[in-house]
Amino acid sequence: MVAGRILHIGIPCIPGRPPPPPPPRVPNFPRFIRASSVQPGGYKGPKPGRDWIADWVSKNDDAVRSLPIYVGGASLLAVLFNRAVSGIAPVADASSSQSRSDLLTLGLAVTNVLAGLVWLSIRPKSIIPVEPQGVECQVIYSHLPESVVSEILWAWESLSTVTCCRSLVIVYDSQCIVQIGVAAKSMNDGEPFAVDAAKLMQGSLCQGVLKSGAQSYLANLSLYPGRSELPFLPSNTQAVILQPLGDRGIAILGGDTIRGFTTSDQAWITYIGEKLDATLAKYMSNIPLMPQTLFKILRFPRQCFMKLRTEDIQMQGHTCCHLKFPFSNKNITCNDMFLAVENVPVGCV
Amino acid sequence: MILSTTKSLLLNPLIQLKTPPPPPPPLKFRPKFASISARLDNSEQQLNLSVLRFTLGIPGLDESYLPRWIGYGFGSLIILNHLLGSDSVTAAQLRTETLGISLAAFSITLPYLGKFLKGATPMDQTTLPEGAEQIFVMSQNVSAAQKEGLAWATYVLLRNTSTTSVLILAQGALCIRGYWNLPDGVSKDDALDWFKNNIEETGLSDLKDALYFPQNADAEFWSILPQGTRSVLVQPLLDPNPSTNEMGNIEGFVLLASSMRYAYSEKDRAWIRAVSNKLRSKN
Repeated sequence: MVAGRILHIGIPCIPGRPPPPPPPRVPNFPRFIRASSVQPGGYKGPKPGRDWIADWVSKNDDAVRSLPIYVGGASLLAVLFNRAVSGIAPVADASSSQSRSDLLTLGLAVTNVLAGLVWLSIRPKSIIPVEPQGVECQVIYSHLPESVVSEILWAWESLSTVTCCRSLVIVYDSQCIVQIGVAAKSMNDGEPFAVDAAKLMQGSLCQGVLKSGAQSYLANLSLYPGRSELPFLPSNTQAVILQPLGDRGIAILGGDTIRGFTTSDQAWITYIGEKLDATLAKYMSNIPLMPQTLFKILRFPRQCFMKLRTEDIQMQGHTCCHLKFPFSNKNITCNDMFLAVENVPVGCV
Repeated sequence: MILSTTKSLLLNPLIQLKTPPPPPPPLKFRPKFASISARLDNSEQQLNLSVLRFTLGIPGLDESYLPRWIGYGFGSLIILNHLLGSDSVTAAQLRTETLGISLAAFSITLPYLGKFLKGATPMDQTTLPEGAEQIFVMSQNVSAAQKEGLAWATYVLLRNTSTTSVLILAQGALCIRGYWNLPDGVSKDDALDWFKNNIEETGLSDLKDALYFPQNADAEFWSILPQGTRSVLVQPLLDPNPSTNEMGNIEGFVLLASSMRYAYSEKDRAWIRAVSNKLRSKN
C-alpha cells in the first residue's frame, strides 16, 4: 500500500483535450472489472481476478457452440477406427468388456453431438438496429419545477444509454409534458412533430393501456395497425413500449431494434414509470383535499384498498393522516409507499 | 431407451439434407422431439437447425445439466467395467476407456461453458441466505427527497435484480435493506453504527471503478455480508464532471450482494449504474 501511495500522481486531466465520444449503448465491459491501481490509499480489499474461460467463451461464441459436435464426431470416428485397427469385429453386442466400453464411449460422443446441436439451435438472432429518421428535439413543459425536470432527464439518460430507446414522449393529464429524442419531422418545416395529447389519449392504444394498467410492448411496430395513432414517432421506429403512469398519464418509448427491449428492460421501465408517476402527481395534481378520499376509503374498505394510489397517500405531505388498511392492521403513513414496505420480496424477474 | 432412439435418428438428418424435408411424422414415445428440419440457407451458407429440443418432458428438470449427469453416469460405468472385466485388459480397450473418460470429463464441463454463451438464461433461482433477517435502516438527518430516493433505489434494486442485500452510501447518508447477518450483540437500532464502522474499515468509500466479484468473494474481507453470498458488485457514485478536479469526486457507493454466482449480467450492471447516477447530487 505504501507503494500505492507513492504512485499517487492522479489521473491528469489535460486541458483542451477534446471530450470523449459518447459511450456505446451498453458498454462492452470485459467480464472482469479491476479496480484502478492508482488510488488515494483508500480501498484495502481484494480485487477481482480475470475470468479467462468466460472471456474466451464470449469472444468465440460461434466456435464454442460447434465445439461439442466436433469433439463428439471425432470420438465416434476414433472408436470405430480403434475397433477396426484392433481386429475386432464391429458388432454392437454387450458380451465382451471391450464392446461395453465402446458402447459407453459412443453414448458419450452422441451426448456431446446433441448438446452442440442444441447450442446451435438456440443461438440468438442478431438484429441490426435501424437508425430512426427524424429530427432531434428536447421539449419539456415549462412549468415543471427543477427537481421534476432533473428526474425526467435522468430517466431519459438511463433509457437511452441502457436500452434501445431513441424517443421518449410523456403525456400527463392530457398535456404533453416531455418529448425528447428523435421525433418525426412535421410537414411544413424541419420542426419536430408536435404531440396532440388530447387526441392521443382518446385513441384506442392509450385507452387500452390505461384501462388495463399494464405495460404494453409492441415488439415489431410495423405489424400493428395502431401505428397511425403515434405520428410523432419517427416513421421507422421498430419497437414501442407504452407505459401507463398511474391512471393519469402515459409514457411512450420508441426503440430502434425489433424486439429490442428485453424482459429486464420492461421490468425496469415499469418501475421508472411508477417513480415518474409519483413525482409528477405531486406537482400536477388538482384533486380536492384528502378527507373526502379518506372517507371514501373508510366507507368502502375493500374497493378502495384496491384502487388506492400513491398520490392519494402523498397528498397530505409530511404530517399525515394515518390510514388503516383493512387487510393488515398496519398504519401506513403518508410517506412514499416504498418506505412503508418493510419486507421486500426478493428475487429475479 | 434414450440411447437407441438417438442413434437411429442420427442417420435420418444426413439423408434429409439432400431433399427438402417432408414434415416429420409425429413421434409418440418419450423423449419428445419437436420437428427436426435441416435445410441449407442459401443466403447465409449455414446449417439452420430449427427447434431441436431434447427434452424428457419432466417438469422442473433442467435439461441443460443433462450432459453433466450423463458424463458422471457413463464415466463411472466405464470405470466399473474396467474393474470388473480385469482378467485381461487389452490395449484397445484401454484406448477406448481413456477416450471415454476424457469425453465424460468434457461433458461434465459443458453446462459451465454454456453459461457464458450469448442468450443463456440463468438457471439457478435465488436462494435466501440462512440465518439472515430482513432489515431496513436508514440514517437520520436526511432530507425527505433524499429519503425517498434511497428508498426507491433500494426497493427497485431488490426487486429487479437477483440481489438479496443492498447497502447504499450516498452523500453521507447510509441505507441498508434486504437480508443481512447482524451479529448477535447488535440490535436493529445499533445496526447503523455497526455498519458505519465496518465500512470505514474496508475503505470502500474511496473506490473509483466498479468492482464485480462473480464467484466466491474473499470471505474475511466481506465479513459484513450474509453467509451464502456468491456475487458482490460495488458501484461507486462518481461526479459526472471529472474535469473540475483531478480525481472524480467520489460521493459514495452502492453495494449489492447476491446468493447466485454470475448474478449480474452486462445489462444488469448498466441499469445499476443508471440507478446510481440518480443518487448523485445534482450540482
